[in-house]
Amino acid sequence: MKKYRIIIVAVVAIITFNSCKKFLTTELTDAVQTNVTYYKTPSDAYTALAGCYNGLDQIYNSDAIPAELEVFSDNSFGGTGAFDGYGWEMIDEFAKAVSPSDVSFHSSGWKAYYQAIYRCNVLLQNIDKVEWGDSSALRRKYTAEAKFIRAYCYLDMVRLWEMVPLVITPSSDNVQQTDPEETFTQIMNDLRYASDSLPSDSYTSVPSGRVTKWAAESLLARAYLFYSGYYGKSNLGSETAATALAAVEDVIAHSGHALVSDFNTLWPAASTAKNVAYAGEQNPEVVFAIKYSSTDNWSGDATGNRWMVMEGIRSQSIYPYQAGWGGCTVDPKLWNSFASTDTRRFATILSVADENLAYNKSSDCREYTGYFLKKYAMLCDQSGTSIVSNFQTGQYQDFFAIRYSDVLLMAAELGSPNAVSYYNQVHQRADTSAAPATSVSKADILAERRLEFAGEGLRYWDLLRQGVDVAAATIAENTTVTNFSDGTSNPPTASQLQANITATRGFQQIPGDQITLSSGVLKQNAGW
Amino acid sequence: MKKNKIMKKASKLLWMLLYFLFMGMQSFSQTSVRKITGKIINKTNGEPISGASISVKNAANATLSDAAGNFAIDAKAGETIFISFVGFTPQSIDVNNSTGNLRIQLTEEYNKLNDVVLIGYGVQQKKLVTGATAQVKGKDLAKLNTTNALQALQGQAAGVNITSTSGQPGGGFKVNIRGAGTIGNASPLYVVDGVITNDITYLNNSDIASVDILKDAASCAIYGINGANGVVLITTRSGKWGKKNGEISFDAYYGIQNIGRKLPLLNAEQYATMQNEAAINSGKSLLFTQAQIDALAKGSQDLPAHGTDWLNQMFSSDVPIQNYNLAANGGTDVSSYSLGMSYTEQGGIIGGSDLSDYKRYNFRTNSERKLYDGALKVGEHVTFSFIDQKGVADGGLYSGNVLAGAIGTSPLLAMYDAKGNYLSSLNSTVYNGGVWNNTEANPYALMQYNNQSDGKTQKLIGDVYAELQPIKNLRIRSTFGMNYSSSANHSYRPTYEKLSVYAYNLYESIGQGGSQGYAWNFDNTINYVFNIKEHRFDVLAGSAVRKYQGTWFSGNNTGATLFGSFDRGYLSNSTVTSISMSSDTSAANRQTVTNGMSLSGNANAVYAQSSFFGRINYSFREKYLASAIFRADGSTMFAPGHQWGYFPSLSAGWVVSSEDFMASTKNWLNFLKVRASWGSNGNDGISAFNYLSLISLSNARYNFGNDNTTLTQGSYPSTIGVENTKWESSRQTNIGIDARFLNNKLDMSLDLYNKTTKDWLIAAPLLATAGVSRNPYINGGDVTNKGIELQLSYNGNIGRDFTYNVSGSYAYNKNVVNNIPTADGIIHGGTNSLFVNGPEFFRAAAGNPIGYFWGYKSAGIFQNEADVQAWNGKKGALQPDAQPGDMKLVDLNGDGVINADDKTNIGDPNPHHVFGLRFSGNYKNFDLSITTNGVAGNKIVQSYRSPGQWANWTTDVLSRWHGEGTSNIMPRITQNSSNWVEFSDLYIHDGSYLRVSNITLGYDLAKLVRWKYLSQFRLYVAAQNLITFTKYSGMDPEVGASSYDASGAYYFGQGVDNGFYPRPRVYMVGVNIIF
Repeated sequence: MKKYRIIIVAVVAIITFNSCKKFLTTELTDAVQTNVTYYKTPSDAYTALAGCYNGLDQIYNSDAIPAELEVFSDNSFGGTGAFDGYGWEMIDEFAKAVSPSDVSFHSSGWKAYYQAIYRCNVLLQNIDKVEWGDSSALRRKYTAEAKFIRAYCYLDMVRLWEMVPLVITPSSDNVQQTDPEETFTQIMNDLRYASDSLPSDSYTSVPSGRVTKWAAESLLARAYLFYSGYYGKSNLGSETAATALAAVEDVIAHSGHALVSDFNTLWPAASTAKNVAYAGEQNPEVVFAIKYSSTDNWSGDATGNRWMVMEGIRSQSIYPYQAGWGGCTVDPKLWNSFASTDTRRFATILSVADENLAYNKSSDCREYTGYFLKKYAMLCDQSGTSIVSNFQTGQYQDFFAIRYSDVLLMAAELGSPNAVSYYNQVHQRADTSAAPATSVSKADILAERRLEFAGEGLRYWDLLRQGVDVAAATIAENTTVTNFSDGTSNPPTASQLQANITATRGFQQIPGDQITLSSGVLKQNAGW
Repeated sequence: MKKNKIMKKASKLLWMLLYFLFMGMQSFSQTSVRKITGKIINKTNGEPISGASISVKNAANATLSDAAGNFAIDAKAGETIFISFVGFTPQSIDVNNSTGNLRIQLTEEYNKLNDVVLIGYGVQQKKLVTGATAQVKGKDLAKLNTTNALQALQGQAAGVNITSTSGQPGGGFKVNIRGAGTIGNASPLYVVDGVITNDITYLNNSDIASVDILKDAASCAIYGINGANGVVLITTRSGKWGKKNGEISFDAYYGIQNIGRKLPLLNAEQYATMQNEAAINSGKSLLFTQAQIDALAKGSQDLPAHGTDWLNQMFSSDVPIQNYNLAANGGTDVSSYSLGMSYTEQGGIIGGSDLSDYKRYNFRTNSERKLYDGALKVGEHVTFSFIDQKGVADGGLYSGNVLAGAIGTSPLLAMYDAKGNYLSSLNSTVYNGGVWNNTEANPYALMQYNNQSDGKTQKLIGDVYAELQPIKNLRIRSTFGMNYSSSANHSYRPTYEKLSVYAYNLYESIGQGGSQGYAWNFDNTINYVFNIKEHRFDVLAGSAVRKYQGTWFSGNNTGATLFGSFDRGYLSNSTVTSISMSSDTSAANRQTVTNGMSLSGNANAVYAQSSFFGRINYSFREKYLASAIFRADGSTMFAPGHQWGYFPSLSAGWVVSSEDFMASTKNWLNFLKVRASWGSNGNDGISAFNYLSLISLSNARYNFGNDNTTLTQGSYPSTIGVENTKWESSRQTNIGIDARFLNNKLDMSLDLYNKTTKDWLIAAPLLATAGVSRNPYINGGDVTNKGIELQLSYNGNIGRDFTYNVSGSYAYNKNVVNNIPTADGIIHGGTNSLFVNGPEFFRAAAGNPIGYFWGYKSAGIFQNEADVQAWNGKKGALQPDAQPGDMKLVDLNGDGVINADDKTNIGDPNPHHVFGLRFSGNYKNFDLSITTNGVAGNKIVQSYRSPGQWANWTTDVLSRWHGEGTSNIMPRITQNSSNWVEFSDLYIHDGSYLRVSNITLGYDLAKLVRWKYLSQFRLYVAAQNLITFTKYSGMDPEVGASSYDASGAYYFGQGVDNGFYPRPRVYMVGVNIIF
């Protein structure tokens, strides 16, 4: 029948018209490549490496760890605004009950660390795909830098949370928490690889911000000191006090790093307030810094320093100090522990009374003490306007993660024969009127470290690596507990504070959202 | 390509066909032919009917009635004249020798079952439909005078829940058909004249002929692609066959808009009193003396009496809304046309037309022509729409929501300073001669400064089609459609001095952007209808391809501009400058703006779909009905090898009333059909290249070196590709009844459905250790929606002059998530979105509805210290730190402590009941209609105030606890708002409402004028949104605002009122003229 033939022909035609196979193949039209097509040229690898560095910007911009470390320690209270949540009081007092709803306080930070680590892991996984040609030296250099960044992240994490899943090849699995020894071993291996692989050139041979052999060696010593101190073990694999000392002695001998002469010039706020020239971001003292830029304006780049705003004085800008959220109010005991002749007191602490600041917003503050941290204080101009167009995101001040004075004091602590000289270099730079020491004990060095590094996030680690009992006792004793204002009717006594810290063994809350997401594969730390 | 072959084949066919047609022409009959004349009138109102068709049965003669209803036709005795007109029951008259001048009264049909409805690639008589569909006529939408069709559709079709996402002109709508089946985009598929689009607000209501909503899987199956959320088919108005003189219509209305219900905020003295109470309750001393409070009531040079009511400042009054529409349509028996143009403008009641305005210009042309004696039809539908839109920021906490700003600012801040400039809170002298709160900023000034933007969008949607009918009942149709859209926008932000510590803008900035995109589709179908004895088959087979492409760009420039105005705020009118740090380290002001132009742009991922489909509709004596559909769809959203999805459906119907055994019920039951369907529909709505692990260059720069502004480009692996992701399918079973009672006066449809989403496409959160922030889509989990829908309509009359119709829709839906494919089985809501530092408050989790509110249950208020002591768990006092006046929280799990484990489902934001009721009546030349719609069973969370701030309160706070027995609902106030820090049922409000959305009273002058060319001259007055019955205390209970989930990928947090832009109340006058 004719009509059925017509129908059949039409149906077949309709179907065949539509069966061009290419139709459902689309090319990538977005400016993106895939992990298969990328990592081809050394230039791809360099760009990917810059992405790993960007991961360092993301970590503290997601979780203001450098500021929080001051709060954990005996240097600062939580502070912040009178009507803010009590999260910062919770971490200050190591007491979950202070802010029961803050079950995922460190969630953003935890994620940001793993994102930075993932960037490094993917680069390391693909580094052999790159056609290096005659630039194979770059391959080793980039590998070393990526491993350093990964080690930097894990060193933070293992000290903050102790039990963290160790992921060194990309994985979407539900990974269990790793024994800290294994994590430290990985950190040491990565740092040793980096220090062995990077050239022994002066720090000036690379742009500010790039990882150097010296940075790797210094971080290795820092990791060793924490591991050996907290866990009371003298070696980690082949790494011992002697290898750690050799590493920092190498930095002292060959890096070209040195102390700047005026401590105040290290810090934008102090140098502006003192009207002395800022030493800049690539001064000889900076062994490793996390770099920030002034161009960030809530862009996803997050290349500005977004955590400084936490430390700004609350609600009122007074030249040269830009207003911020008023976190990390300084315990008066820290102020009092400086000699009045010590230039570090002015550089470290913003004293409302001492600087005659017409500050009238103390009622906006929580745990107001009259003192704020200054090293990472934001700046405003004479009219009280922020010097960057967005004060929350556009802060450009780098975070000096490792300074040369730290290298000197670590070497002294590790038993360098030049310990006294190293100590005196640091101490007398800060206080020219001080008499030179003739001998130094570990206690002297630790005391000096507190004054030298207050506001830089090192104090808490220095306490914890003396053992959690020492840390808990010291923090409880040195903290003016009457300044606690945590919303409960009974702020903790010193003994309660000590018990809280002991209960947590000095480690922090693992994000609750990650625990639920892992369906309990991740276990919460004790005390939280 | 086989296309040429088919064309050859078709043309051959055509020639053959034409040949037969000419050969087959009949010679004229020899019997005596007489001219029969007559007049056709509407039986109901006696008006003449023009355009009715009059034909002689089994003969070629046919004609149409003229404007006066008169006709003349040649016929001879023994023949039958057949008279028909759309919407009326046809009549036939046997011609005998005495047949002369006829007077024929046609009865209007309220019988919707004889209507045809769109079923996707075809039409079907409603009485034969076996799926669940709803149809709304365009003229019913047009009568409601809304700026877009979605608003008019509210409450009209059972099972279609439409919620406005903002009351701002041009604001969007959330449309859910039979509940949300996903936490992602649950919008239905819109098909306008065969062209797929994601939005229909570009249409003018008067351009719409009908809206057909396909609800069950069997009805949607032919649109397997993205039919999982239902399908809405829009038909634009087409020409009228045989209306040679044509018809011109003109519609216009003009109205004024005002706020319907304004939030009552505290005035200055109430605010000061509350601040005093909060201070006392927080152990602080009083902030205001009684004398100061009295002074605030009286007013001073600093502040007017009772302070500033910021909402009053934000709202404009008598903001115009207007619409003009001119259309022409008509046709002969070989061609028809319909043209139209319209202009619509609606100003915003917040900020007025200067800041918030929606203008739309529409042009439409639809025409069709029959060639080769009807063997070939060609035609087109084209709608062009130009939309010019300005708007203010609304919704959410952080987007600069102008309403949240107004509610949050204290009444102690004055609007202007002595010089008439906006007063900066830094310069206020209202409080002890000084500043009250230097962090609050004049919200009116911020609205004016920060909302200067304008976007223009052009859309062209249309198709060209050809339909060949080579042999009877065989139709081959080919449609080429295009959906093109482009937009251009620009914005400007002036510099302004400090309005508060934080609110200032040092540098002018300009933004400009644009985008264009188009999707074309090419659909080919073949349809053959045939009978085998009494079995009737309607068979369709077809294929469709669709491809989308688009590009975008946007730029920003910061720095001094040439003109300093919004009108000239385009990129090149700003100096090319950038922000840099000067190397001079001694001065504090080290940042200099020297270059701020940033540009970005890209092409979007190409999106293509390819489909094959087939359908068989079967009926036996129009009594036993069945339909089977199968569709295969391929999509580029999935990896090769996973691109194809297959979607079958089956349905059957039984017209019970046609059975002999039902004869006894004929006197009251005119029609009864039982139908059932089952089917599966697809959804590919995920992000492109989900299956690839992508490297991203954005947001990965690093600042090596000493220069704080030079960044080194970085890259990073931004996604983890999941290769085996495939189509989601929604499976649905539907059982329904269609019935007519009481001489066809009462019309009813009842449906029961059970819809489950299978292989749900969900961006399940990855563990942090996976290392990327973007969660890839995987298949897993499922969501069920079960419900009942009822649609009723009653047509009645009282005497000859009063006719009326009452229609109503009602739907009940129960939404439940069965499973979520993550370890904890939860998609968490975001934090910081209900209030500043606010906790997670909504979730999607198994056993609960999508987006349920998750928080503490409370058990009233501690009235005294003894209450606090008595509130014990197994470890003693549950809230030992509580004070009288604080909330009692329930230890739900009984572990003796109040913590996150006690949080539970404390409210469902999804409406359980959605309904609408409409009355329309005609009395002589008057017509009246009242339209209502509403929802019930849903909850809203309301937060206008972040805990602890100095923000203002609404007068709700006056009912707070302030001593034993004063309240068991609203806790005491404290400076840190301790009772409001945790999310509890304190935030939950009942969102049920019934809105009288439209009342219209019209009068038709044409019937008085009786000029033969004028068929309608109707004047009317209307009020929209006149009354809303609700217990909800916000400005509008129809809160369509959403909140983001924890990953930022979804915004399924519904019913969140952070200061929701309310729908205006409108009074309008209008006219409809038809020539």
